[in-house]
Amino acid sequence: MLGFVIIVAFEMLGVGLHRLGVPLPGSVLGLILFTLALLLGLIRLEWVERSSLLLVRHMTLLFIPLMAGLATMTAELRKNGVALLASLVASLLAVLLTTGSLAHFLLRDEEIAEINREADLLP
Amino acid sequence: MIRPTLHLFTHPALYILLTLAVYALSLRLHRRWAWIHPLLSASVALIFLLWVLHIPYASYNTGGGVFTTLLGPATVALGVPMYKQGIKLKATLPRLSLVVFAGSAVGMVTAGGVASLCGASHRMVMSALPKSVTTPIAIEVSRSLHGDPAITAAMVLLTGLLGSVIGPGILRLVRIPHDHAVGAAVGASSHAIGTASLFRSSEVRGSVSSLAMALAGIFTSVLAMLLNLYWRARGAGHPW
Repeated sequence: MLGFVIIVAFEMLGVGLHRLGVPLPGSVLGLILFTLALLLGLIRLEWVERSSLLLVRHMTLLFIPLMAGLATMTAELRKNGVALLASLVASLLAVLLTTGSLAHFLLRDEEIAEINREADLLP
Repeated sequence: MIRPTLHLFTHPALYILLTLAVYALSLRLHRRWAWIHPLLSASVALIFLLWVLHIPYASYNTGGGVFTTLLGPATVALGVPMYKQGIKLKATLPRLSLVVFAGSAVGMVTAGGVASLCGASHRMVMSALPKSVTTPIAIEVSRSLHGDPAITAAMVLLTGLLGSVIGPGILRLVRIPHDHAVGAAVGASSHAIGTASLFRSSEVRGSVSSLAMALAGIFTSVLAMLLNLYWRARGAGHPW
């Protein structure tokens, strides 16, 4: 429970800072401050680990009400449908391929190190 | 949209229960048939139930909205995988950041570019820009760019769903099978929905993906902030 208190406190801190005029979204500010607090040792990992993994693992659940809400805005979506769908698919493919191929070249040695580590563990 | 229907189901707790039940069932379905995305089956089932029981979305949302509210804290909670993976992947972190930054920039340019080429209004173009990042971040970015947060949310959800269904397959098709590359690409393009589905199959992919989606969220907000500052600096405010 302490974990949830800490996480919600950082969310509120982020939202508060955003309201005071910091031009980044509140939850992003919360995320940055929370990660910094972990890195600086202000918060111990074991205080927040269980609560946050619970939230992260079941993030799919948190999207269900929003998805159901899409059924109420079919008219708006249809009006701009073609442009938005084209933009969605093109941008999705572009991000997948740019990130994937760049990571393929830049992160390759990390991958090999990992495979070697796993190979070492084999009998 | 809202029909004046008499119904017994009015307590928010019941809608929370309904959402949880639909989610539990969809997870069970997913365990049986792995290709059915739990988010898709759960939302289709929920839309169907609301329609059959004549429950207006607005009254469902008195309970269901609780989960939407939790998306903010869930974003903050990403700090834990970010911290754990950041320490484990310390050596790759600068490279991963570069990769994700490139992905985020390309994503915003293509999303806005294609939408405007297809004749979408300026407001719709702005709504499309943050579509690759997780909902609570995307909604705020959309609002700051004077887009329509509801349209943005719709695009975010559909992108995440589509990316998590076809993403790994497309990467396999172009011969990018490495866990780190798949994690980075799916995290940067399909945010939390993609990350959650990677976690169900591979710990490494899921971890890299959660780091990538958090980085993408930060980079996209920073890029949107710079765009806003640029417009403000030109003194014209927003160009409409």
